Amino acid sequence: MKEPLYIVDGVRTPFAKMGTSLAGCDATELGRTAAAAVLTRTAFDPALIDEVIFGCVGNPADAANVSRVIALRAGVPESVPAITVSRNCASGFEAITQASDKAANGRGDIFLVGGAESMSNYPLLYNASAVKKYAALGKARTFGQKASALLAFRPADFAPRIALMLGLTDPVCGLGMGQTAELLARDWQLTRVMQDQFALQSHQRAEAAREKFQEEITAVYPRGGRDTAAVVSDNGVREGQTMEALGKLKAVFEKRGGTVTAGNASQITDGAVALIVMTEAGLKQTGLKPIGKLVGFAYAGCEPSRMGLGPVYAMAKAEKLTGFKLADADLIEINEAFAAQVLACRAAAASAEFGRRHLGRDAALGEIPEGKLNVNGGAIALGHPVGASGARLVLTALRELHRRGGKRAVVSLCIGGGQGGALWLETV
Amino acid sequence: MNISLTFGDAGIARLTFDRPNSSANLFDIATLEELDAHLATLESRRDLRGVVLVSTKAKIFIAGADLNSFTKNFTPEGLGQTVDLGHRIFTRLEQLPIPSVAAINGVCLGGGCELALACDWRVASLDKSTKIGLPETQLGILPAWGGSVRLPRLIGLPAALGIILAGKQLAAIPAQKAGLVDELAQPEYLLAAAEKFLARGKRPAPAPKGLFNSALARPLVAMKAKRDVLAKTQGHYPAPLQALKVCRAAYGRPLAEGLALERAAFLELAKTPACRSLMGIFFLQERAKKLKVPGVDGTGIKVRSLAVVGAGVMGAGIAQWSAARGYPVLLKDIAPEMLAKGLKAAEKIFRDAAKRRIFTEAEATAGLDRITPVATAVSLARVDLVIEAAVEKLELKQKIFRQLEQQAGSQTVLATNTSALSIDAIASGLADPGRVVGIHFFNPVHRMQLVEIVRGPRTSPAALDTALQFVKAIGKLPVLVKDSPGFLVNRILLPYMVESVRLFNEGCGIQQLDRLMLDFGMPMGPLRLSDEVGLDVAQHVALDLQQRLPQPVPINDTLEKMIARGWLGKKSGQGFYVFGPKKGAKEKPNGELGFLQTAGKGAGQDAATLLDRMVLVMINEAARCLEEGVVAAPEDVDFGMIFGTGWAPFRGGPLRHADTLGASEIVRRLERLATEVAPYFAPCERLRAMAHAQATFYPAT
Repeated sequence: MKEPLYIVDGVRTPFAKMGTSLAGCDATELGRTAAAAVLTRTAFDPALIDEVIFGCVGNPADAANVSRVIALRAGVPESVPAITVSRNCASGFEAITQASDKAANGRGDIFLVGGAESMSNYPLLYNASAVKKYAALGKARTFGQKASALLAFRPADFAPRIALMLGLTDPVCGLGMGQTAELLARDWQLTRVMQDQFALQSHQRAEAAREKFQEEITAVYPRGGRDTAAVVSDNGVREGQTMEALGKLKAVFEKRGGTVTAGNASQITDGAVALIVMTEAGLKQTGLKPIGKLVGFAYAGCEPSRMGLGPVYAMAKAEKLTGFKLADADLIEINEAFAAQVLACRAAAASAEFGRRHLGRDAALGEIPEGKLNVNGGAIALGHPVGASGARLVLTALRELHRRGGKRAVVSLCIGGGQGGALWLETV
Repeated sequence: MNISLTFGDAGIARLTFDRPNSSANLFDIATLEELDAHLATLESRRDLRGVVLVSTKAKIFIAGADLNSFTKNFTPEGLGQTVDLGHRIFTRLEQLPIPSVAAINGVCLGGGCELALACDWRVASLDKSTKIGLPETQLGILPAWGGSVRLPRLIGLPAALGIILAGKQLAAIPAQKAGLVDELAQPEYLLAAAEKFLARGKRPAPAPKGLFNSALARPLVAMKAKRDVLAKTQGHYPAPLQALKVCRAAYGRPLAEGLALERAAFLELAKTPACRSLMGIFFLQERAKKLKVPGVDGTGIKVRSLAVVGAGVMGAGIAQWSAARGYPVLLKDIAPEMLAKGLKAAEKIFRDAAKRRIFTEAEATAGLDRITPVATAVSLARVDLVIEAAVEKLELKQKIFRQLEQQAGSQTVLATNTSALSIDAIASGLADPGRVVGIHFFNPVHRMQLVEIVRGPRTSPAALDTALQFVKAIGKLPVLVKDSPGFLVNRILLPYMVESVRLFNEGCGIQQLDRLMLDFGMPMGPLRLSDEVGLDVAQHVALDLQQRLPQPVPINDTLEKMIARGWLGKKSGQGFYVFGPKKGAKEKPNGELGFLQTAGKGAGQDAATLLDRMVLVMINEAARCLEEGVVAAPEDVDFGMIFGTGWAPFRGGPLRHADTLGASEIVRRLERLATEVAPYFAPCERLRAMAHAQATFYPAT
């Protein structure tokens, strides 16, 4: 990177499990809430924003280019353009790194970026047979035509295709995301107990970090309905989680000998994050003080059926680009899509053989010490609103660096479809 | 030149209304005479296919008659001539040999609507500004340039009564549905659409209008309309009843007879005090819209965004109203739970308005989006105006203002929505107390048009001007008041509410008292009003006034005892009345209040005395307000009471009513009450002096 991209401030909505307190808010409303809050906190003139970039995987059907809708509804002037980006699970990263790329090309100095996802509001779709029959019905003119078009429907036509399930299945390798995690568990001999222990630790760390998270959260006020409650905190963290409770859960993705359960996988969640990012020129223009900066990043591709190892590939590539080694990081975030997947990343990073065979290196990528990894828990406890997670990792890591007086963090994500992303952050 | 006549190449003439140096087109005598001359020209030409009537004003076709010019000659002769002139000219337009069409874009009311009704065809623009109707009954008169005759002919008796009796204004689409206009068009295509109608020639005589217009059904229709009017007006407003009579009698009769009926009724109505009062209110409203304070105008800043501190009923209401008018609003409170309640309240107002088609759903959402809730300390540097609407506690408000001084920019005007506390006391801890001003909204904010702008002794011109311009910009009507206990409206209203409680104490019935004041013309009885306001709030304000006014009306412990039982009025379900859980259910008097009553003086007094005790106490206080310079003029008092409390509009407000009674009569009655009931009825100096000098508050007309 020619020039760092400064992160001035950021806020997020609470993360809430699918179908719970935020189910009534679509991705637009969640994104708008976070964006309006960060604009209020920073209190600079939003007309100075050069572009609004939000990540979203399940773009709401009623808000094509949801980023534009978020921008206008949050009070960003009409003259400021907006783009929605998707790199699946790393869409929240993509929003930030696109801002960096645009700034590097002289296409702006001040950006409102983030991610928004309402997995509660993923639609149910008609299957192909029903779509065909509805089309015939739409074309029918006479009573006879209409009657026969209606009579063509069969009960099976009304079985919906669930967009969420489709999204969580890799169309190339045909595996569900959970199945890719099972594959990694087998590859790296990660037992059910090891995965559950990691999950337990995620909950315990997130529970301990509740106060810290409040610093980055802005309340959501769901509209519609009579309930006047404000949603003020994450609801995925299970307080007092135990190994016994985790042990009782059934494997979801593989019936025979499976190890990945709802308890050691990330939760399906609603939430949004908004950040204000700027170049140095932007800081001068607004007079705002940054909390940190993006100093380098990389995306890398890998085998779709082992997409969970994406972070290792991305961190290796980032090292080539930036020179930063894992040992340079005070904090390391690997998004917890699955406990098995994070544990596999740790093992692969420490494996010299993996480094040689897959990363083109002479030695292992490096150790990932438990004391630096996901110190405030992760998506297993907080949930993984796919379009928003990347931006949350950046926000949470930067704030934690400040708390610890640390200098540098690397945050990474595995990406469905076989990719990884890694961002190097520094305090200012 | 108010109207120009031009000729297009296809034989189409155009009458263009464009009143010079004015944003509105209005009818005055000169304009009518110009129209007459143009009509003569049109009659003389043989080469024309038709004429289009059109306005050049952006949002106005013709706003109606110029009341200013007509009220100058408010004699039966003058008014009769004006009516005759309009009748003759509009009939001349109707009887032109060529077809005519009104191309209506924007406001088309009163005389403007009657002009359009005299055309063969009407085409309306789909622009939002288009409003067509006959609001005359709201001014105590009836449509008297043919509207009472031509509208029923055009759209049938029931539909016409619906418009005329309520003074309704219809948007383009409802106007077409009602049959009031023949076609709709986007504003850009309005002229083309209008010209097309000329090919149809003169309008054929109207066909009979179905069952409800038959001679048999007419008495039924009229009876129902009368019942509706009486239910709404309590019989205080003669205009709708007269209009009903004329519309019914003229229906089916020759034009000339109908117009004669209309004329007679108009002259009759113009003589009534109600008409005078309602016209007066119209002018008071115009006066408020143009309110300027000498030495202050132009010193303030233009508000682009604001912050509201406190998300209670008032804060949420202010935020909602401002956001609905396009202002970004930061809504601040100490906890998300409070903000959640405030946002829900604002959302409800927006959703209800959307249901009533005041906003589209998208506009309601956008309005709500403009309110950003904050529960943390944020910079208010980019905010031009802060309106504090927190709990009525001086220390708390002082603390808030000290914080605001830190958070806000140096130009930011700091306003308080206090209804009782002193502006100067609130501002006292600040480095610059001059930036503090009172902007006192009334509850519910989205319904009450009045806003008291309170000028503290140290309030700067810039702060005052900013507040005044903002209040006008959001479409509220300002009254400027001095920083004094209760300001204007509460100062006058509270003694009346307190007196009604005392009368109840003395053995009068709850409904008896409320009925008395409803019959007087108040929109709600005083005890029912206490329930609505909340007994705790009423008691709080009354106590405050008692402490701070030199001559307060003393209060007793009745409300205190009720509050102790948890009876707070409507909000707790029980007060002087019991409110059922079902929405819209009629409340019943609270049967458990007997223990608060003793057989006192009130029980034995006749209705006139009871009425005097409640009404004269207000007039006395209103006169004191004038005496102390709380407001500058009697107009301010009447305007404030009518728009802030709905004070019997047809009586013109407490001071107009005082003039009707006469100062010496008021003083006589107050003195009698002072000896027979209690000393606090003693008339104030101003009233005594006026009685002595045979003076009136308003100059005699």
